[in-house]
Amino acid sequence: MKALRARSAGARTAGDARAAQRPATDPRAGEAGTLAFLAELSQALAVSLDLRQTLSETVTRVVDFMQVEAASLFLLDPATLVLDCRICIGPVDITGVRLAVGQGIVGSAVADNATQLVVDAADDPRVWRAADDTTGFVTHSLVCAPLRTAAGPIGVLEIVNRRDGTPFSVADAELLELVAAPAALAINSARMAASLLEQQRLKREFDLARRLQKSLLPHRRRDGFPVIGVNRPAHEISGDFYDHFELADGRIGFVVGDISGKGLDAALLMVRAASLLRWAGKDGIEPAAWLSRANDELCETTQDGRFVCALVGYCDRAATRVRFAGAGFPPVIVQRGDAFDEYPSGGPPLGILPGVAFEQHELALAGGTFYAFSDGATDVRDAHGRPIGNAGVRALIARHAKESLEPRLRSLLADLKQLRLVDDTTLLLVEAPRAEQPERLVDLRVPARAESLRELRGAVRAALDALGIEPRLRDKLVLAVDEACANIIRHGYGQSCDGDIELCLARNGTTLAFELRDTAPCADPAALRPKPLGEVRCGGFGIALIDEVMDDWRVEPLAGGRGNRLVMHKRIEDIAGEANEA
Amino acid sequence: MSVSPNGVAAERGDGYVLVRLSGEVDLSWSQEVRRAVLDALAAGTPVGVELSAVSYIDSSGIAALVEGFQQARQHGRRFALVAVSDAVRAVLELARLDRVFLLVPSADALLAA
Repeated sequence: MKALRARSAGARTAGDARAAQRPATDPRAGEAGTLAFLAELSQALAVSLDLRQTLSETVTRVVDFMQVEAASLFLLDPATLVLDCRICIGPVDITGVRLAVGQGIVGSAVADNATQLVVDAADDPRVWRAADDTTGFVTHSLVCAPLRTAAGPIGVLEIVNRRDGTPFSVADAELLELVAAPAALAINSARMAASLLEQQRLKREFDLARRLQKSLLPHRRRDGFPVIGVNRPAHEISGDFYDHFELADGRIGFVVGDISGKGLDAALLMVRAASLLRWAGKDGIEPAAWLSRANDELCETTQDGRFVCALVGYCDRAATRVRFAGAGFPPVIVQRGDAFDEYPSGGPPLGILPGVAFEQHELALAGGTFYAFSDGATDVRDAHGRPIGNAGVRALIARHAKESLEPRLRSLLADLKQLRLVDDTTLLLVEAPRAEQPERLVDLRVPARAESLRELRGAVRAALDALGIEPRLRDKLVLAVDEACANIIRHGYGQSCDGDIELCLARNGTTLAFELRDTAPCADPAALRPKPLGEVRCGGFGIALIDEVMDDWRVEPLAGGRGNRLVMHKRIEDIAGEANEA
Repeated sequence: MSVSPNGVAAERGDGYVLVRLSGEVDLSWSQEVRRAVLDALAAGTPVGVELSAVSYIDSSGIAALVEGFQQARQHGRRFALVAVSDAVRAVLELARLDRVFLLVPSADALLAA
């Protein structure tokens, strides 16, 4: 091959002279042929979103049309400023060759962001010759055109040696420049398509991580359990977690944690720290030793400056005494009536220094409440953008202290959310279980007239909104209550509408109870049966709608021969579970 | 949630009558709705009931629409619900009536459908 292409110094000079006069490409192509080639190439590139295919398409077409011995395409890595040969067609395969920006003619094209024409390679000291030296191929003449985008060059298109042995001309350089434009555009689109796919993949991974995290949080217990946690992530994935578990001796262990940093690797550390802290506390060892054990374990395996703030402890079932220890966790707040006490952590965060000792506290709760907030709560911003701090959190607690447990948790979270939540927020509280009372949400008495329905709907809708019931379910429940009232008005009282309707909506744990009382003549429960939905007929399907929406319902005549009581039940999702979603 | 006041009005279009409903359709005025729908059918042209501004409808309101649907069918006339709001659609689905009525996106589609 070398023999075929080797030319004397004299021939080279002659070649240079010819280059100046000769038309750009093969005479049979002509201007029309060039235009057709460019149009065809642009079209082929426009439909390709696959990067590899785009690159190889470009190079193959250039080799064929421009009648060259070799062509290659380099892509620039903007981080390292290295050009990497991705596609090469020709007798010597230089795929994988890496050149720095500024190195060789390829590197110069990027450094100058300008097309480089080398008529005689032997005369140009910039020419990179490593491939020639090892393969015997001789580079006589070459052109390099940068692949330009608005954000600067992203690579280089290179052609080497015309097949007819003549050197490249200015016209050749101009043509290559014309080819480089649509190629750069196509590479950019292909990259954008790839990054979109990558984003979708990341989103799927994030969703998976979020589901995994949620699955680690313990279920809310409603059987008079003294420990309750709520977690509200600020972003898709949370760095916070909490846990509670029962020991064989009847004590209850609890954990709250907060991982430094954000993103997927913080989430993975959270998963590890959560299981580690649970494992370390299962033996019922003292909280200080519990933290030490977890700390030593985390120090062995945690790198890159990540750490874990945590609070661990035990309480008895009646929540009379709490024993706990903190590691870089915000101070615990204990509220007893109007008095607040704070207990700062007695040790640094976990995962930094092995062998550290932790201090622990023990206290009698005496009917008070133990609050452990992750720093997401104290970092919440007030109207002026300042963190509310522990004083702010105390003020929030004081504002809602009189409320019973469930509404208090909701109020605290709602208040924190209304201020600006900038970080994951987790709240774990310990208090003596009170007998769970149904929480009355609506108590309303209205005249039994169609004109009252709007007010009834408004009251039910507002109460369900306050609970955070999602709108579709809310609307169905409102409809069911409306239908029930309409039936009482139409069929219960009939035309003599001087009575009232009493509506009571109460929540007992995860069950909503809707109760309607009237003073109309007693209905015959057997006559109140849902008719199948789906039959097209006028009216008569109010009861069917109620039956469809509610889990169960029944009508009871009131004692004394007058009046009815309708009770409808609907189970709803765990409210705290919904808070975790938000 | 839409805050349109309750209202019903019929208007004559090009070859059809459109009954516009708005607000919360319940027992307190569903008879008016029923009357307006039946009156519109008396004109003998296709009838559409425009529901985009209806934020609530109960079974008595649905019943008025069902009656209109049945009347129209008896007389071989076209009867459609136009631009059904999400709130109405949810109730139609609940009552399994979403595939019974002809639903069209706009009054223009009433004749083309």
